[in-house]
Amino acid sequence: MLAKTRSYALSGIDGYEVLIEVDLNSGLPSYDTVGLADTAVKESKERVRSAIKNSLYPYPVRKITINLAPADVKKEGSHFDLAIALGILIASEAAECKDYKDYIVLGELSLDGSINHVKGVMPLIIAALQDGHKKFIIPSANAKEASFISGIEVYAFDKLNQVVDFLSGKSQVEPLKTSEFSGAKAENKYGVDFKEVKGQYVAKRALEIAVAGGHNVLMIGPPGAGKTMMAKCVPTIMPDMTFDEAIEVTKIHSVAGILDNNVGIVATRPFRTPHHTATVPALMGGGSNARPGEISLAHNGVLFLDEMPEYQRRTLETLRQPLEDGVAVVSRAKQTLEYPARFMLVASMNPCPCGNLGSSTQQCKCTPGEIHRYISKLSGPLLDRIDLQIEVDAVSYEDFRSTIPDEDSATIKARVEKARAIQRERYKGTKTKTNDEMTNAQLKKYCALDAEGEKLLKNAFTRLNLTARATSRVLKVARTIADLEGCDDILAKHVAEAVQYRSLDRKYWD
Amino acid sequence: MHREYSNDEKALIMLSCMQSYNARKKAYESTTKLSTLYKDYTQADKIIKECEKRGIGILTILDKEYPDKLANIYDPPYVLYYKGNLSLINRPRKIAVVGTRRMTVYGKNILANFIPKFVECGLVIVSGLARGVDSVGHRICLDLGGYTIAVVANGLDICYPPENLSLEEDIAQKGLVISEYPIGSKSLQYHFPERNRIISALSDGVFIPEAGEKSGSFITADYALEQGRELFVVPGSIFSATSKGCNVKIRELQATCVLTPQQVTDALGVYAESSPARYVQLNLEQQIVMDLLKHGSKHFYDLLEGAGIATGQLSAVLSELEIMGLIRKIQGNFYEIVPTL
Repeated sequence: MLAKTRSYALSGIDGYEVLIEVDLNSGLPSYDTVGLADTAVKESKERVRSAIKNSLYPYPVRKITINLAPADVKKEGSHFDLAIALGILIASEAAECKDYKDYIVLGELSLDGSINHVKGVMPLIIAALQDGHKKFIIPSANAKEASFISGIEVYAFDKLNQVVDFLSGKSQVEPLKTSEFSGAKAENKYGVDFKEVKGQYVAKRALEIAVAGGHNVLMIGPPGAGKTMMAKCVPTIMPDMTFDEAIEVTKIHSVAGILDNNVGIVATRPFRTPHHTATVPALMGGGSNARPGEISLAHNGVLFLDEMPEYQRRTLETLRQPLEDGVAVVSRAKQTLEYPARFMLVASMNPCPCGNLGSSTQQCKCTPGEIHRYISKLSGPLLDRIDLQIEVDAVSYEDFRSTIPDEDSATIKARVEKARAIQRERYKGTKTKTNDEMTNAQLKKYCALDAEGEKLLKNAFTRLNLTARATSRVLKVARTIADLEGCDDILAKHVAEAVQYRSLDRKYWD
Repeated sequence: MHREYSNDEKALIMLSCMQSYNARKKAYESTTKLSTLYKDYTQADKIIKECEKRGIGILTILDKEYPDKLANIYDPPYVLYYKGNLSLINRPRKIAVVGTRRMTVYGKNILANFIPKFVECGLVIVSGLARGVDSVGHRICLDLGGYTIAVVANGLDICYPPENLSLEEDIAQKGLVISEYPIGSKSLQYHFPERNRIISALSDGVFIPEAGEKSGSFITADYALEQGRELFVVPGSIFSATSKGCNVKIRELQATCVLTPQQVTDALGVYAESSPARYVQLNLEQQIVMDLLKHGSKHFYDLLEGAGIATGQLSAVLSELEIMGLIRKIQGNFYEIVPTL
């Protein structure tokens, strides 16, 4: 007899339907999987057999043929196990199941017949929902993540025989209740706060501006200046994620298999810190088993590149296109995948290889050639996409015993949200969301300067050796500074402040 | 650029290809009729053709443009290859600006204060296109629209140090680049001291803003004294390795210690029309910040506390002052008043 069960397979962070056909024939007992299955799918043979046996069902002594349709697309992953096992049981008439064709079945089997957690349940369910499927059978371990999707019936199980009992009507199981998205409203989930960063007013102010306008930041400073600490604090002042944003992030994290099963959704902004030995596929995504890269895992959050010039130049250059379009495109011979990657880039670097260039206390031991090589790792086009470049210094706070209070993240966040609201209003109906994404036309329209501002900008260029491509960057940052102040027009003082955040343009290394 | 060369000149060009200076001098002095030195001039023809292709001019000691100052030294270069405005070589007043390759902010400050005065007085700045003092000296001079001559230690078809390529091109356009080495010569170690004798010979004085004890600038300085040129050095901190050489020269009374650019120009007998002092109107915040910076550099935090204004506002004020050229940012978020003499 022939049985057909339904499952879904991943392609990027989307899914497509896979029909699993199980046929039993006469002949010598054998087991064949056809339909471009990868190793994980082929190995399901052993898991399925043991699971069926250990769930006390008879395993058919027949020639078993399994076809995964569409047959011309490569299938990956272990989540077809459960659908295959059900197909075998139904085909061999070991279990009498009705309506099983209505269900999308996802789950990996263990040898003892229990159902294990699988990757990518949320994106698979969303894809199936878009195709009109409403009923799902998934592992209990994935229940939490599936529960955030409304309008569907999801049944979660621990064991193979529970599924069979449910499908054959021997037991009743309630579908999962939909979970409420509580967002990041709960107390600070990041474990860090800007009030713990003492001093560093310039850097903190620059980071506030960066977050408010969605700008990328580069921090330049000696080792131990607190660059990493501040970068970690950046998500704490970003506006809370909306449900849609959280779902986007959760889909990616689910595909990558790094989702917390107890929470089921990513409610806090991701903060990713790939090591500088990271390869291009690690950063961009892809590989033989396609997986989202670090920049996609940082989607809607922060990508922190510590010691930026230490990364391979080739790796850094691949960031250019995602920084522009917000998607990571991974092209392989057989397929092209797209992962969303709209992140805020926070990078840090030392002023020179030894880190002491320009320090008042330490002597720099680098030769001009070494410094030149170090700096030139960052190409012009890449730096062009980083609006704010700030200096962070290792001056100890105790030296100053400042009376200026350190603000906490919540206060800063409130200001950021106000500035973001102004931007939302301004760019209503366009693709642009933040000042950073302004097009040239918008730049002309929203960044007009008065005579005084024009004069200041012109003087700044000649006096401070700013490079020409810094203009639009300075204007965008000035726009954000004005927004933070709630000011409709960009005034000279806003431009003046924006100029302060162009450290690299000033050719410090001359 | 095309011109015919006599066999005498071609002989000199072939001499310039000899590695050792002594061999060149011996060959040059061995005969009164240069054209008899060689039988075959194809090598010279080749060099001439290559130079013409690259826009490189050739000046020999037989030319009437060849400067007397250079001809009169003990060991003049027989041939000079050049790019740029040759007339600069015979301009009457020149000063050599040489010093350490590892220049500090102190050296930069000195150049920023001295070179404008030199340019104002019409002095041509002669230097060696090396890293540090040399290249900054050339650059400031060019930015002010002054004239500068770079004497390099390699053939004019290559640039050393490579990062100065654009600087060299600028000098070739607005000033003059010269070398006694034919194209294809690399900058070998012994070329640098040889080149230094040309720098000092072309100049009326040698100015050393900052140089360590073993700096090559003192080879130029020694040539300067030998050739009867003035030597000016600026004293520095006794703890600074990059000022030690200057301080030693002062201590040993081998150089004129100068504290202002005026002292150099007076000694060379050049003057500029006095320019009126500039006044700028500052607003209250700017004035407060200027007062805070009066006694040395201050960190951003100090200014923030002292001025009692918001972070963003202070950044804006600092930018404004920087743009006016009154203060500048030094590394690590420190600010200081631009030192003037």
